[in-house]
Amino acid sequence: MKVPALKVDDLSVWFDTGSGRIPIVDGISFSINPGDATGLVGESGSGKTMTANAILGLLPGAGMAASANAIEINGKDISGLSATAMRAVLGRDIAMVFQQPATALDPVFTIGQQIDAVYRRHLGGSKSEVRQATLDALDSVGFSQAEDIASAYPHQLSGGMRQLSMIAMAMVCKPAVVIADEPTTALDNSTRTLILQQLKNLQSRHQTAILFISHDLSVVSQICRDVMVMYCGRLVETTDCESLFSHARHPYSAGLLSCIPQISDKRPAPISSIPGQIPNATALPPGCHFAARCNRCEPHCLESVPKLDFENGRGAACFRPL
Amino acid sequence: MNHDTWQRLKSDPYGMTGLIVVAVFLLIAIFVWSGLLGQGWSDSTGGQYEGIGASHWFGTNLLGQDILQRTLFGTATAFEVGLTVTICSTVLGSIMGGLAGWYAHGWLDEMILWLKGVLDSIPFYLFAAAVAFALQGSPWAMHLAMIVTFWTTTARIIRGEVMRIKEREFIEAARAIGLPGLKTMFRHVLPNTYHILLVQGTIVFVAAINTEVILSFLGLGIKDGVSWGLMLAESSQEVLGGHFGNFIASGTALFILLMGFNLLADALQDAMDTRGSLT
Repeated sequence: MKVPALKVDDLSVWFDTGSGRIPIVDGISFSINPGDATGLVGESGSGKTMTANAILGLLPGAGMAASANAIEINGKDISGLSATAMRAVLGRDIAMVFQQPATALDPVFTIGQQIDAVYRRHLGGSKSEVRQATLDALDSVGFSQAEDIASAYPHQLSGGMRQLSMIAMAMVCKPAVVIADEPTTALDNSTRTLILQQLKNLQSRHQTAILFISHDLSVVSQICRDVMVMYCGRLVETTDCESLFSHARHPYSAGLLSCIPQISDKRPAPISSIPGQIPNATALPPGCHFAARCNRCEPHCLESVPKLDFENGRGAACFRPL
Repeated sequence: MNHDTWQRLKSDPYGMTGLIVVAVFLLIAIFVWSGLLGQGWSDSTGGQYEGIGASHWFGTNLLGQDILQRTLFGTATAFEVGLTVTICSTVLGSIMGGLAGWYAHGWLDEMILWLKGVLDSIPFYLFAAAVAFALQGSPWAMHLAMIVTFWTTTARIIRGEVMRIKEREFIEAARAIGLPGLKTMFRHVLPNTYHILLVQGTIVFVAAINTEVILSFLGLGIKDGVSWGLMLAESSQEVLGGHFGNFIASGTALFILLMGFNLLADALQDAMDTRGSLT
């Protein structure tokens, strides 16, 4: 069996308050093989970004804590590493692409200087070797004039070009895993397609594993083979994209899919939404978190927590899957 | 400074006037330092209180020293004090402000704020006099007094700016590529305050020159050499006797240089204010 590029085992993130723990991510496990892309989808506030931050060991703010049985990159556990040892891993073995390319680049340095710094920090080399790596990285995300981009300041580039530069920066050390946190949300549709194409190219060329975080199922289906649906800090369904679209098993996934507006020549159906609201994180129900909004809810669902139950490699955390 | 900033500065006539004035004075100072101008500032080359004339353009003083030579030499003194104080207090202020802002609300921040509060609460001229007395006539007493009091303003501004910048996404991105915290502060946070440091630097420069004049006037300033402040101090006795040479020469030079610096500082602030133009 292949060693997965990224393996997360029982990861939890919580917020400590005086009156107890507020769970943000609740015991999630998954793995991504080299060269695969897996989508992590869910509504805002479901814990997607916190999952990414916890994997990188970068939880913002005081009072937040995370624990995991293991977080492995190519079989090497990074969950217990010291801050110093972790800094050697960040950017070299695992890299991140951020949502806002406008603000994720330092405005006072050129793109080239910033990518140089990442390469020099982790792999080193002479000035010309470092710059060559930077130009190669910019070249590999599809810039034909890599040198012009390298000498440009972030504000001189468009949003799409900045995001491609961010991807080049993430890829310059050829990491095993790239976490892309909503990398296309701030971009228009045609730019989005371009970014997704470049990510796909890089993924197949370097056998990079990608964890693609998004709330947009259509974007996820363009780049990912597998998809995980997250709700209130728990994975409620993990499956491949095709099966999700053709036959979602968890009622929440089905609800998400029905929220995508359909264009047809028939009289338009009213745009549907999932009734109710995400439960307050400080007062989560004891049973299935989705129970209150679910039309298939039974008394049993309100009391005990459904486990991810696998059937032909497809998992759904539901007592009454569709 | 990038290209756009320079373009904006160039199209501002007040700013360019200021820049040219400062450049001319700087050139004079450089000539004095390299021994081409103002070397005869302490020689008695004429009679007592000569008026304006061909041999002494601004006349002479009590000892028959040429006032033009002394004014030119005073330019170098002004720049020497201004540059030393500005560079030292800006470096000190940005490091202290940077640390305070980066560790905001931590013990280091508390210490720095406390130190700043103590220094700010001492009346400045009293403090300068105390330092001058403690160092018993050292030529650096005045510089030191200014540096240890002037850094606090820079530090306060930088602290706030660092607290703002450290929440931005590129700082998180720097963490995500494994850059240690304090290195991130020096590599990515402080460089983003350069526009503030540059403007604040010109303000400190003006304050330093001003303060040098006042301290020299009070006898706490320049010990070795001549400065506009010393000339003004001399003139306070002379104007009663109708001798205006020292007063007009040093006062005019001081006024023009400070005016030029203020114009430049204003224009720099406008030219580098990128708020609103960043998307």
